Amino acid sequence: MLLQSSASSYLPILIQGIMALAFVGITMVITHLVGPKRRTIDKLTPFESGISSVGNARSPFSIKYFLVAILFVLFDVEVIFMYPWAVNFRELGGKGMIEMFVFMGMLLLGFFYVIRKGALDWEK
Amino acid sequence: MIEKSWLIPLLPFLGFLINGLGRSRISKKTAAVIGSASVLCSFILSVLVFFELQGSAETGVTVKLFEWIRAGSLQIPFSFYVDPLTCVWLLVITGIGFLIHVYSAGYMHADQGFGKFFSYLNLFVFFMLILVMGAGYAIMFIGWEGVGLCSYLLIGFWYKNDAYNDAAKKAFIMNRIGDLGFLLGIFLLIATFGSTDFTEIFPQAAGFQSGDGRLLAITLCLFIGAVGKSAQLPLYTWLPDAMAGPTPVSALIHAATMVTAGVYMVARSNILYALSPVAMTVVAITGLATAIFAALIALTQNDIKKVLAYSTVSQLGYMFLALGVGAFTGAVFHVMTHAFFKALLFLGAGSVIHALHDQQDMRRMGGLKKAMPVTFLTMLLATLAISGIPPFSGFFSKDEILAHAFSRDPLLWVLGFAGALLTAFYMFRMLFLTFWGDFRGTAKEKQGIHESPASMTVPLILLAVLSVVGGFLGIPEVFARQAHLLGGFLAPVFAASQEVLPAMHVPHSTEWILMGISVLGVLVSIGMAWSLYVKKKRVPAEDTVQRSGLVAWSYHKFYVDELYQALIVRPLDALSGFFYRVMDKRFIDGIVNGVGSTILAFSSTLRLLQTGRIGSYLFYMVAGIILIFLLNYLIF
Amino acid sequence: MTSLIIVSVLAVAVLYLGLFKYKTALLPVSVTGLLAAAAMAAMDWDLEKMYFSEMMLFDNYAVAFSILLILTTLLIFGLSRNYFEKISNNVAEYYALMLFALAGGVVMVSFHNLAMLFIGIEILSISLYVLAGIRRKDPASNEASLKYFLMGAFATGFLLFGTALIYGATGSFNLAAIASSGAFESALFRAGVLLMMVGLSFKVSVAPFHTWTPDVYEGSPGLIAMFMATVVKTAGFAAFLRLFLMAFAEASAFWAITVAILCILTLFAGNITAVFQDRFKRLLAWSSVSHAGYLLLAILAVGFSASSAVLVYTIAYSLASVAAFGIMILVSRARGNDHLDSFNGLARTNPFLAFTLTLAVCSLAGIPLTAGFFGKFYVFKVALAQGYTWLVVLAVINAMIGIYYYFKVIIAMYMKENANAVAIQLNPGFRLVLSIVVFLIFLFGIFPGLIANIL
Repeated sequence: MLLQSSASSYLPILIQGIMALAFVGITMVITHLVGPKRRTIDKLTPFESGISSVGNARSPFSIKYFLVAILFVLFDVEVIFMYPWAVNFRELGGKGMIEMFVFMGMLLLGFFYVIRKGALDWEK
Repeated sequence: MIEKSWLIPLLPFLGFLINGLGRSRISKKTAAVIGSASVLCSFILSVLVFFELQGSAETGVTVKLFEWIRAGSLQIPFSFYVDPLTCVWLLVITGIGFLIHVYSAGYMHADQGFGKFFSYLNLFVFFMLILVMGAGYAIMFIGWEGVGLCSYLLIGFWYKNDAYNDAAKKAFIMNRIGDLGFLLGIFLLIATFGSTDFTEIFPQAAGFQSGDGRLLAITLCLFIGAVGKSAQLPLYTWLPDAMAGPTPVSALIHAATMVTAGVYMVARSNILYALSPVAMTVVAITGLATAIFAALIALTQNDIKKVLAYSTVSQLGYMFLALGVGAFTGAVFHVMTHAFFKALLFLGAGSVIHALHDQQDMRRMGGLKKAMPVTFLTMLLATLAISGIPPFSGFFSKDEILAHAFSRDPLLWVLGFAGALLTAFYMFRMLFLTFWGDFRGTAKEKQGIHESPASMTVPLILLAVLSVVGGFLGIPEVFARQAHLLGGFLAPVFAASQEVLPAMHVPHSTEWILMGISVLGVLVSIGMAWSLYVKKKRVPAEDTVQRSGLVAWSYHKFYVDELYQALIVRPLDALSGFFYRVMDKRFIDGIVNGVGSTILAFSSTLRLLQTGRIGSYLFYMVAGIILIFLLNYLIF
Repeated sequence: MTSLIIVSVLAVAVLYLGLFKYKTALLPVSVTGLLAAAAMAAMDWDLEKMYFSEMMLFDNYAVAFSILLILTTLLIFGLSRNYFEKISNNVAEYYALMLFALAGGVVMVSFHNLAMLFIGIEILSISLYVLAGIRRKDPASNEASLKYFLMGAFATGFLLFGTALIYGATGSFNLAAIASSGAFESALFRAGVLLMMVGLSFKVSVAPFHTWTPDVYEGSPGLIAMFMATVVKTAGFAAFLRLFLMAFAEASAFWAITVAILCILTLFAGNITAVFQDRFKRLLAWSSVSHAGYLLLAILAVGFSASSAVLVYTIAYSLASVAAFGIMILVSRARGNDHLDSFNGLARTNPFLAFTLTLAVCSLAGIPLTAGFFGKFYVFKVALAQGYTWLVVLAVINAMIGIYYYFKVIIAMYMKENANAVAIQLNPGFRLVLSIVVFLIFLFGIFPGLIANIL
């Protein structure tokens, strides 16, 4: 049976979102207010390993970083599939279990390939 | 076995592929073995098919391979039809084909294009088999065109000689004229019967009235095709020129098999012809006229292969005479015996030419009896057979044709008989000039004379045996009852048309008399040749000598080539010249070039849109999408 | 379905073979796997099975096109020995990416759900974005990859938007459900169909969404361009037709006129621009655009004869393209570039190559006795049966323009001389593949019934 979805059924999610945002906001504000402050010129200049910063921050960065970032997003997104599967675990049964194992196996194969190719070796 | 009969054409085709693709790598010996063995296997399969067909109650078996063309309601499957008529041709093609392949191994041994030659020969056998096995006119047409192609390739086999290339082109073009008729015939058949399959057409046709206009048109169109392929008047001139090809080719293609394709086609369509008496008369008269006309030319020719070529044209004329008077069995019978003795004559002539190092002029021969005994004896037997001396094979088949002609009209018999006298005369003239008397060539040539190797003589001997005994397959009724084996075998094929046609009614006494007259006449004719060329040792005059009267006409082949040149070729040349200079250059080219330059102008503009910048590409895309939406929401 | 699994697993296996440095095993394993995949696909004939809650349907249409895609890939692999080794160190990735793309193609011809269509297209496209740019040191290759990626992403947006609108109008992704939804009059649905048409048109390079084609073909390595011209185009058209046949056929009165206009635009854009090209690869790219125009004719005539026509056409086109691109690779490798002048005198140095290329371009031009003739013949036939006479007349005019530029290369090969040309060496793989192609072009040109009646 399909659940009737309407704007009101998204209300819990909305509330949850507001709560999350509020939590972040409130903690940030509170730490800001509660923490002790001592404003001196030295403290307010951007800290760059003890050396004053030079040039524009929008400079090209290492392709390795890009690669790692992309890989992270990739694996991160794949893991999202685990959530609906976990929710429906009982209904999907043994077959669902096998399918998820196949999926994870593929993911692992990819992960192993990435490692083996040296994509995560920062130093190389 | 019949169900597997598609193997019969497949084997030579494989031979063609192997020899054709690997001709630079395969040794001459292997090429010869592959070429001959593939045809031999086909022959063995054909024999098996023959026995199975003889034992079965069915008249014909259709073997469907696959759907070939389907257009609207017309369906043309690619299938084979095997019946007694096909079977006779299968045996002749593969049997004689095999012997000629073996012979070629000896004849061509010194030629550079040995592998190429065998691949062409195999391809020819393949197409010829397709021609006779096709279950409909469309499949037959594939084979028909295929053999024409092979004939072209093989006539011009020695392509470095321009005259030979011209001969090849002539053969091809002449055949195209005939093919056009055949093709029109096929279209008419489709229009009339909605099919090209024999098994669809013939039962339908049997229900037509005799003299139906549609059948007349179909049969005449098909006959034009037969005239081209089988070298009848007026399209015969390519065949003598086709002798430019290697002699085994002349024997196989231009004597035994391909040129009889026209006879096969008419015999296959017997019911259509039987129902159109006018077409039958046309066939008979064309055949008879060709028979006599070619025989007259053959009287004065001096090139040994030319004599045989005109003789072939003449004998094909007899076959068409037979078809025209309703003696279908007689025609097929003559095809068979003619295949035996004419192949033998060509191969014998080839043996002589081989021994004399490519000398083909009979005036440079003579006295070869001693030096080449096997060639001489086998050719003697063949000559006796073609002249119609009993009990050699030619006697029986020619007698059957003449008897039928007599029953139709005694005048036909008289003319046919006259042709037979001419045949005996020119054939023995050839034999006497070649083998009797003294050698007339150079001393150097004389030293080189030798009997041919076994690979050439063995086929000669086998063919000689066939030429001698082949006639016993069709012993006429006057000798013994029910002894016409071939007639009995072919009876189901011609059953429907025999019901339509009047039966032959010649009293036995008359037939005996006719036979006696013809044998006597032939003997007299041979005697005349003997007294002229052996006793008086007459040798034909050199080419430079001016000839007069009928001899000149015969010697110059009745000026037919010149006539065609003047009547057809030159006006056509002039016309095409006009069209080229005025219509094509000025008018058509003007339009074409105009269109072309317009497109070029467009192209050079349009090409500038391709800037290479993604921005503009995306712009085109978005513009396109907007246009599509505008189109759909505003206009429609 | 088994064949799809085999192809996907094969791709991973090939990737791992490369990882563990079994470079010599790459080609044999791929070829064996593809043969097995083709065989397994053939086993599904006449089964008509649905998979994954009606996400995929392996009917005869899917099977026929899957086999075509797999076998074409096989032919391309036959040409690839020693090819990738020369341009890159990551040979296994080439094979793996092509196999992934093939898997995407198989999904595209067997989808029964718009989500699967999208997934198929993305699997195919993403592999291609990488393949186009795999010559990392070559700016042209990089440019091709980036252009293709940017424009492809742009077009995918339209495709997705269209899918979403159709879902909104019909409430389903399932093709059968869409076809029976009866929402054809709604503006949402119509906009969705048009947007999906735009997205798919981009993938099969229909004008005015074709602009990427020549640039990407030119920049990509030859074999990849060949892969794009054959497998990708076949899969794209099979998907295009499948979608419009199974889901939108009832609404054809509404979208037909748009397809007809795109068809004319494509034909003229492809053919007329091709006239001026003097590089063979670019010429082939434009010709590939024009072939998309001919194939659109068949989409107009939705019906099962249209599937048959598209199948015959794509078979003929794939065969001819494999030969044409293959010889282009050989010539440009031996003579430095793919300029038409490089083909001068090829008939004398390499008669076999010249003959094969002649046959291939004759087939592309649609000269009788080649498979291409029957491809055009059947496409024109189905369009005529639908009453698009005027469109067929325009298409025939375009076919004649096509003959002009196709014959430029024949003229170069046979009538122009090149004094210092040397014979090009062929490796056995090339010889075998080209021989097979020649044989098949003739076979299907003489017996079109062998392929015309299977669907």
